[in-house]
Amino acid sequence: MDTLVTITVVSASESKADKSIDDAFAAIEKLEKLLNFYFAESEISLINRNAGLSGVKVSSDVLRLIDKALYVSEKTQGSFDVTIGPLTSMYNFHKHIRPDDGKIREKLSLINYRDLLTDNAKSTVYLKRKGMLIDPGGITKGYAADRAVETLKKQGIHAGIVAIAGDIKVFGLKPDGKPWKIGIRNPDAKDDKDDVMATVELTDMAISTSGDYERYFISNGEKFHHLLDPKTGYPAGGCRSVTVIAKEGVFADAFATGIFILGPEKGMTVFNETGFSGMMIDSRGTTHITPDLRGKIEFQKNPS
Amino acid sequence: MSFRKILLKTTGADRILFLLLLSVSLAGIFFIKDIIPQSRSVLVEVNGKPVYILPIDKNRTLSVEGPAGNTIIEIKDRKVRITDSPCINKLCVKQGWITGGSIVCLPNRVVVTVGDKDRQKDGPDAITG
Repeated sequence: MDTLVTITVVSASESKADKSIDDAFAAIEKLEKLLNFYFAESEISLINRNAGLSGVKVSSDVLRLIDKALYVSEKTQGSFDVTIGPLTSMYNFHKHIRPDDGKIREKLSLINYRDLLTDNAKSTVYLKRKGMLIDPGGITKGYAADRAVETLKKQGIHAGIVAIAGDIKVFGLKPDGKPWKIGIRNPDAKDDKDDVMATVELTDMAISTSGDYERYFISNGEKFHHLLDPKTGYPAGGCRSVTVIAKEGVFADAFATGIFILGPEKGMTVFNETGFSGMMIDSRGTTHITPDLRGKIEFQKNPS
Repeated sequence: MSFRKILLKTTGADRILFLLLLSVSLAGIFFIKDIIPQSRSVLVEVNGKPVYILPIDKNRTLSVEGPAGNTIIEIKDRKVRITDSPCINKLCVKQGWITGGSIVCLPNRVVVTVGDKDRQKDGPDAITG
C-alpha cells in the first residue's frame, strides 16, 4: 500500500502476539494484491480493463469494498467517488505533475459512481463505459484496517491498534485499563508528523483524517493536494483537515475524504446525517466538532 | 564610591577570593544539573490507577498488591526492575532492568513506567493525519 503499517496488540503471550501480528500483516498484503490500482494483476485492474465490455467476477472483499464505496458516494453526493481513476491517473503527486485543463475537462464525464454496478448474486462488478477506472485509494486503507482487526480478534487478541498510515482502528483497552489515545495531526505542521493539535480517547472505533498537507505540490503558486473533487477535477478548497470517527474503518477513511471535498457546510451536514463523530478545520482555520465530541477532544496547549 | 575606587582598594587576597567565589558558583550550575533528577520518575500503576510516583534516583524496594498478589519492584542506580511477581509466566521479571518505557504485568495488572513526569501520560498511542 506504499505506506507505513503499525500493529500493536495486547497479549500475555509474546508468541501469540507475534503470530497474530504476522497474520494481520498477511491479511493486509492479500488485500493489497486484490485492490492495487497500479498492479496489473489486481482484481481492480481486471474490472478496469473490462470497462464497457463485461462484468468481472471478483472476491468477496472486492465486492464488499465497492458496495461500501457506493454507499459513501450516495451519502456525500458523489464527492467521494471510487470511479475517480481517470482523474487520479493523470496527476502524479510524487513527480509533481498536473494535467492540462483541457484533459481534465475531457475525463470528468468518465467519473460517475452510478455507472459502477455490482451484482451480489453473481459476485460481479461492471463499469458501464469504456475508459472508466476504479481507483480505490481513498477507501482501501480503512477497509484493510477493519480486516486486520478482524484477523487479530480471530487469533484471540482482545486489544490493540492497527494504524495504516493515518487510518487507525483500535479495539479493547490498554493494559492499564484505559482507552487508546489518538493524536490528530496539526495541519500547519510542515514536516513534523508527530505534531499533534488535539487528542481523543477511543476504544472499538476507527479514526481517519484527510488533510491538504499530506501529498501535494505547488504549481504556479497554487497548491495541488491529493484530495481531488470528482466534479471539478481540481483539489477541493473548503477544508484543511477532516477527521472522522466511525465503527468501521472503511467508513472513517472514505467519509473523511468525501466530507473534506464537500467542504465545511455540506460536510458538517453529512456528520449529522450519518451520526459519525468528527472534527473539521476549514480553510479559514475555524475548528468545527460534532456535538458528541465536545469535552472529549483534548486540544494541545501550544500548537506550533 | 565608583567601581574603579573599590577595585583600587582591594588587595590581592580579595581578588583571589572573588575569583574563587565566582568559579564555585559557576561550577554549581553544572553540578546541580547532574544531581537534580531532571523530573524523571517511576510511576507504578495497579489496575489503571496510579499507586506510587517515585524519584528514580533514590534506591528502594517496594511491594504493591495486585489482584493476583504482591509484585516486588526494585529501583536502583536510576534503573527499575520487577524482582518478583505472582504471575505464571514471569515476563515482567524476565524483562529485567529498564531506564525508560514500561514494564507491564498483565496478570497482576501492574504497570511500571519510567519517564518524564510531565510527559509520560500525554503521548498519544497513534496519530491520524
